[in-house]
Amino acid sequence: MAEPEVNLRKTYDAVIIGSGAAGGMAAHVLTTHGLQVLLLEAGKKLPIEQELRSMEWPYDNAHRGFLPPDSHSLTFNEYTIRNPPYGAGFEKAKHLHSYVGSTDYVKNIVVDERENPFTGTNYAWVRARCLGGKTNIWGRLALRLSDYDFKAKYRDGFGENWPISYSDIAPYYDKVDLYLGITGVKENLPYLPDSIFQRPTKLNCAEVTLKQGLQKMGRVLTQYRAGVTSDGLKHNKYRSRCYGRGACERKGGCDIHAAFDSPTGLIYPAMDTGNLTLRTNSIVREITVDQATGKASGVLFVDSQTMKDYNVRAKVVIVAASTLESTRLLLLSKSRLHPNGLANSSGHVGHNFCEHIMGPGVAGRAKDLVGKPPTLDDGRPGGFYLTRFRNLAEKHPKFIRGYGFEGGSGSAMFPRGADTHGFGADFKEEVRKNQGAFIGMGAFGEVLARYENFVELDPVVKDKWGIPSLRFRYKFGDNEYRMAEDMKETAQEMFEAAGFEIVHVSGRVLTEGWSIHELGTARMGNDPKTSVLNQFEQSHDVKNLFVVDGSAFVNASCQNPTWTIMALCWRSCDYLADELRKGNL
Amino acid sequence: MSTNDPIDLRVDRRQWMKTSASAFGASLLPLNAVSAETPQAEAKAARATVSEVAETKSPGRFFTPAQHALVEELSETILPADSHSGGAKAAKVAAYIDQVLREGFDENQKALWRDGLHLIEVMSLHYHGKSFVSAAAGDRIALLTVLSNHVEMTDLPEVRFFIELKRLTVIGYYTSKIGIHDELQYKGNRVLQEYVGCDDQGPATS
Repeated sequence: MAEPEVNLRKTYDAVIIGSGAAGGMAAHVLTTHGLQVLLLEAGKKLPIEQELRSMEWPYDNAHRGFLPPDSHSLTFNEYTIRNPPYGAGFEKAKHLHSYVGSTDYVKNIVVDERENPFTGTNYAWVRARCLGGKTNIWGRLALRLSDYDFKAKYRDGFGENWPISYSDIAPYYDKVDLYLGITGVKENLPYLPDSIFQRPTKLNCAEVTLKQGLQKMGRVLTQYRAGVTSDGLKHNKYRSRCYGRGACERKGGCDIHAAFDSPTGLIYPAMDTGNLTLRTNSIVREITVDQATGKASGVLFVDSQTMKDYNVRAKVVIVAASTLESTRLLLLSKSRLHPNGLANSSGHVGHNFCEHIMGPGVAGRAKDLVGKPPTLDDGRPGGFYLTRFRNLAEKHPKFIRGYGFEGGSGSAMFPRGADTHGFGADFKEEVRKNQGAFIGMGAFGEVLARYENFVELDPVVKDKWGIPSLRFRYKFGDNEYRMAEDMKETAQEMFEAAGFEIVHVSGRVLTEGWSIHELGTARMGNDPKTSVLNQFEQSHDVKNLFVVDGSAFVNASCQNPTWTIMALCWRSCDYLADELRKGNL
Repeated sequence: MSTNDPIDLRVDRRQWMKTSASAFGASLLPLNAVSAETPQAEAKAARATVSEVAETKSPGRFFTPAQHALVEELSETILPADSHSGGAKAAKVAAYIDQVLREGFDENQKALWRDGLHLIEVMSLHYHGKSFVSAAAGDRIALLTVLSNHVEMTDLPEVRFFIELKRLTVIGYYTSKIGIHDELQYKGNRVLQEYVGCDDQGPATS
């Protein structure tokens, strides 16, 4: 179907590339400032409620909620034994998805790997091309960073400090909290600052047991800090409050939009200002540059359906296509003035690639809950978050930086004990009796931002639209593997301290990319020689170019990035609007 | 056959391969099943019968009626009816597995099921002298126990089949109405005014 045509003859104040957390936030802030904004999204506008169907029972779904069996989503083993591009060996599969893509509810949200190939080192690169991007299916854990992250170099000498402090971004975290809604409990932790929380969800019994066990060790377990509105938002007519309907663990999103997503949280309200023009199916292949001024002049994009090329002009270009897609676009935007790609005089675009390492964790049973009548344990947006405890007051001898755990316990729609050994009457009874007693958690640790970890353009491979693909040169390092060993040990130690029966301890590290938290490939900094952006995510080289997604991060922290992406973006867009008004861009 | 006697599957399978070869001819053995440990000639002979079996399958179905009946009994042995709730048969797990295989693209998975069902029959004839479907409940359990006790031997096709049988049976069962509501009595997926949770003294009362 042809895209309703938008006016591409006028020069917009700003063009935003990408409609996820960053692009949506840029649209919200800039339209509020009265700017005329064009938002380009590479993917479709999906009938998202029909895709997500959050309350559909598995038995009412043609494939029990799973991906139709004529398609395939990559497994951990396949990521391990195969090399990108991942299409080979799955020629008969109708669609091939990343590991996120195994359910009927996300199959149209995540991209087809064969249409969007990449090369190089193994990477589980999860991409969502549709209005709202990955915010349609994100895990919702909404954490703040602190000066333990922003000034981490002062603590251990590694990498670079951010060009901002917590005090610079704190007011913007507050704005994000209030505009989008977040649930949680205040803990007064210097390394994990509190948000302005709405009504928190409660812990269930096994989680309370773990919390108490950890208190003796001086470690902190708190309710999952979810980017979900539990009280509702009076200023937003597109979102409902959370009704604890359960099944939130399922890979998929929230069809009443109690969980934040960019379209209902940011883009639709921005359209209501009358200042936002949205065009989907618009794959930007290049940021154009005025060769006289050296400034960005607009973008070239291709319609994903008609394959027709378009050119649109804007006074400011805002890149928010997700960390690695934004990087790819900068590298694609080569010109006489910018031979290494746009905003890349430092040579740092694509480098300092960082994220979170995942895999190690523990599963156990709270013995006092075995055989108890079934309880409702999943009627909430998340379980618990066990905060960082390494390299705070004391230095760990084997690694720098830290990690936290995400976890949860209790009954779920699909029983957690279904992988119990054996079969038959005993197996069935075992699964039933233990279903409410299971508790598990998995770690998320900081991957150091190293120059040697990078992406670049592949000289040969192109995507379905003829646009050069990315080539990965990225591997976890020694610090990450030493940290992963410690994750496994402490996970077990903490479950033992809580008195749980240990069912399984894993030290297995998941494929690079698994956390879907790729960051750092166009980092901020004060020195244009070693950084791509300044503290307002503005290119050092091209002053009317801003990169407002996770690529601006200087390090990954161990805390989930979405809330920080949005707070930083809000701050940068306030600055942008002010500079534009002053005629400085 | 007693489940108390430790069985070395690797040793035993040589015997039941031989038994079945003398009783029914080597052709009963499917290609993939024998290729691990028997010569190519036997394997070739096996292939002919596999294609004959394929011809008798019901239109629009992956399993033949006989295979379907066998999958029903196998899945029911994995998740049986008990005083608490219905089992895999009542939950129509065999029909679910048929759908997965019929709609799937993975020829290796399909071959594993065809071969695996043959191997179950061969084993059942060896250990119990009759097909799995006709065997007594205790004998069915004993046969699957042999495989369940050797799940680490994933080079053996019958073991890989058991793992796959259990995997799809578990998914099919616990995503069914019987599995979710009767068996687990799942309480969620409904609108809640307030999540009850737990206070420090134990479960809170609503």
